[in-house]
Amino acid sequence: MIRLEDITVKFNEFTALDTINVQVNEGEFFTFLGPSGCGKTTTLRVIAGFIQPAAGRVYVRGEDITHVPIEERNIGIVFQSYALFPTMTVRDNIAFGLKIKKMKAGEIAQKVAEIARKVDLSDEQLGKAVSQLSGGQQQRVAIARALVTEPAIICMDEPLSNLDAKLRVQLRNELKSMQQNFGITTIYVTHDQEEALTLSDRIAVFNKGVIEQIGTPNEVYNHSSTEFVCNFIGDINKLEPALIAQINQVSPQLAPNQTHYIRLERVAVNRAEGEGAFCTKGFIKSREYYGMFIKYTIETDAQTIRAIVRNDGVRIYEQNQQVDITIKPEDIMSYPKGEGRP
Amino acid sequence: MKTESRWLKPENIFRLFGMGVFIYLFFGFMILPNLNTLTQIFSTKNAAGEADPFAVIRFFFAGNMGTYVLNSLKLGIGLIITVNVVGISVVLLTEYFDIKGAKILRMGYMTTLIYSGVALVTGYLFLYDNNGILTTALHNAYPQVDKNWFSGFNAVMFTMTFATTSNHMLFLRNAIRNIDFNTVEAARNLGARPMKVLWKVVFPTLIPTLFSLTVMTFITGLCAMSAPTLLGYDSINPEIVRLAGSSIADEAFPQARAALLSIILALFTIVLLTGLSAYERKGHYLSVSKTKAKLVKQKIHNPVANVLAHIYAYVLFVIYMTPVVMIILFSFQTYGAIRMKTLDISNWTLLNFFGKADYSYLTSRGTYRVREGAISGLFSNADTLGGIRISFILSAIAAALACVIVVVAVNYIFKNKKKGVVLEYALLFPWLLPTILICYSYRTYFNSNDVWYVGNTNLYYMENVRLLIIIAYTVVKLPFSLRMIKAAYYAIDEELEDAARNLGASGLTTMMKIKLPIILPSVLAVFALNFNALFTEYDMGATFASSYGTTYAMVMQSMTQEEGLYGFNVNASGRRAASTVFVMIVSGLVLYLVYGVGARDLGERLALKEKRKQRRERVLRKLGWGRSP
Repeated sequence: MIRLEDITVKFNEFTALDTINVQVNEGEFFTFLGPSGCGKTTTLRVIAGFIQPAAGRVYVRGEDITHVPIEERNIGIVFQSYALFPTMTVRDNIAFGLKIKKMKAGEIAQKVAEIARKVDLSDEQLGKAVSQLSGGQQQRVAIARALVTEPAIICMDEPLSNLDAKLRVQLRNELKSMQQNFGITTIYVTHDQEEALTLSDRIAVFNKGVIEQIGTPNEVYNHSSTEFVCNFIGDINKLEPALIAQINQVSPQLAPNQTHYIRLERVAVNRAEGEGAFCTKGFIKSREYYGMFIKYTIETDAQTIRAIVRNDGVRIYEQNQQVDITIKPEDIMSYPKGEGRP
Repeated sequence: MKTESRWLKPENIFRLFGMGVFIYLFFGFMILPNLNTLTQIFSTKNAAGEADPFAVIRFFFAGNMGTYVLNSLKLGIGLIITVNVVGISVVLLTEYFDIKGAKILRMGYMTTLIYSGVALVTGYLFLYDNNGILTTALHNAYPQVDKNWFSGFNAVMFTMTFATTSNHMLFLRNAIRNIDFNTVEAARNLGARPMKVLWKVVFPTLIPTLFSLTVMTFITGLCAMSAPTLLGYDSINPEIVRLAGSSIADEAFPQARAALLSIILALFTIVLLTGLSAYERKGHYLSVSKTKAKLVKQKIHNPVANVLAHIYAYVLFVIYMTPVVMIILFSFQTYGAIRMKTLDISNWTLLNFFGKADYSYLTSRGTYRVREGAISGLFSNADTLGGIRISFILSAIAAALACVIVVVAVNYIFKNKKKGVVLEYALLFPWLLPTILICYSYRTYFNSNDVWYVGNTNLYYMENVRLLIIIAYTVVKLPFSLRMIKAAYYAIDEELEDAARNLGASGLTTMMKIKLPIILPSVLAVFALNFNALFTEYDMGATFASSYGTTYAMVMQSMTQEEGLYGFNVNASGRRAASTVFVMIVSGLVLYLVYGVGARDLGERLALKEKRKQRRERVLRKLGWGRSP
């Protein structure tokens, strides 16, 4: 569907994108994930045509669109700020693209009504100014405006970043089901790993203008291919040499020339993990209560380690309480030294 | 072939045309006329007719020209003190301290926003000049009071002090309202007393605004025109106008002297504004708080201080309001009542506004003569009506032109950040030059048939002068329009333009359908404010001093001259009062439209429309005509 081939973008001396290669499949929900300034929005803007790459090609359904003007690309965009036209009503905002295409008034009205129904906007809301709508409603208008022209692809640039936490979760679900209903190829930009993991079919993790890994949410989370991805996605413990030495006494497989990590939920607290697992004792140093789960910071004789335990309402440990920690060697992720944390 | 067709694209042709117009305007109407004025200084000749380039410089140091400069400096410095004292106190009294009746007081202090310049000075004269209401009352009570007490330096200072505080009421008021009240509470919490808080926490945040206001006040004093002219004070600008109209037969090289004074004024302005810009570039105190708390008015706990503050506030209120009230009341009185300075319901009339009446007077031969139509209302007097018409048309055209030029320019400036800077400075250039210099330069430079780029037409000749006034008005209003409209452009989210382009809109469609509607309220506000300022503008009209371009302010100024002699100009005082009332109504209406109606966004407009609809339906239901709910 979309293929980026060796895309390089430079802003004066600064290389914003360095030989990016991505293939997005038809109907896929594909996310560009990474920290601020990593090049994810720049890549999206290259696809949309706002930025001309210094090198490389952009293909959509096999056709080279690298130099096709923005308005001829048939790519819808939902902007971070939604970019709704403040001087127009909701109806006029949605109809804007259709009017530019010089469609007949009747046809425009029909298409606007149809898309409004699909994104759950009432007729009353269509007559309002965009400033009279809530954040969630404004987001729906932005999506409707991008979809009404029936684009081949829709690009979303952090569309949930301006919303409060609760609404973000609610709209995330709506967004996913809307995408599935429309079946449209979607490129989604975000720095929020949770958003990326819950929404995407596949994720491209960006760092300093290059793609570190492309994979399904499970692949990037459980089988992070680089130290950066492993650090960026989810919370993680870095294992210190003292603990590595202790683990190697049980199962000698952690190489000293590598950096080793284990995710918090893979550290078992007071739970037997079977044969071959490393076990040690520690004291609860502090506790963070999250409701569904509890995060513990545990002091062992080798290093401080953090663990997440599901809150079953029974096993809640107090400060200074002694606990058993168990780590399975196969849960440890190892990377060559020197890749560094983000 | 490919290159050629790219250059022939309509957008490029439009851009080239626009650039051509800007270059023409900049060099033709900003640079060359003023350069000509500069060269005039050095083109003097001695008595023998030989070139003597430094004659006017010698004359400056030998003659009394320096007095005008010193007088203007004296006025500027004096105003810095008085305007800041009155301006800061009126803002603190209405916005910071808890004074009873602050809303009414604020309205009183803001009256100078709806009448300024000649309208204001004539209003003050109506009260304080030798025939004024207050002077007459004082003279009747204390005959030893000099009836000409309201003239010269003190009168100019008094009038301009209260006229110039309008800037404080706009900008300092805004600054004080933006103070984060949490900082005041924090200081109190740390043990600071209220006055200490004011001095150590509030004032430092106001310093940038106060600095700008002080510089602007000084420049206003330096370039004062209407008050010194009407109240008789020898300062630079009235002298430039006098010299511009003088001939070499009457005095030594008047034009070169006028040019020298204009250039001196320009140098002062350039130095001050450069200093101001350098200070502004240093940056301001920015609030670092994420959630600003609204300022809560501070009670004055000391009872004596509280009473004194209230007395001071209301004395100022009376000073601000008396001229306004008196002018309004006397504008509805007959010429006889105005002359006798008595207010009487039986003398109530609309004749100062509408209609005409005959006037009979006793001749020196002891016979009565009747002068038909000698008493005429504002809208029935040919001269006044002519002035209003000229001012209305010229101001509206110039205000609109300035807006159009600036909107096109700002669009270019935002799209071309590097090249745009040159254009921006070119448009700000008139800000460095005193208005009077620009007008004087136009008057002398275009008063010839030799200026090729205006088709060798004398633009100062007969009706052509109106075009010259329009150009001067437009040029003078460019810097203000640019600052305001550029600020509005910052409000346009860059993603809006991207969104429009993504949806297929061309550059022109994006400009007309997306950007322009967003900045339209600001553009209309700038148009209205420009129009307001130009409609009663006096300085430029007086500098051009042409009978074909007699503006409304000049007509108003002429009304202050002696009236009633041989039955001419009988109710000039009444018409003057009516004129001031008319100016107040026009300005008030414009400000209401700009800040009241124009500031509403689409959401507010739709909400208001809905409210009106509901109200209408309720009324109809009550009358039994509407549908039941």
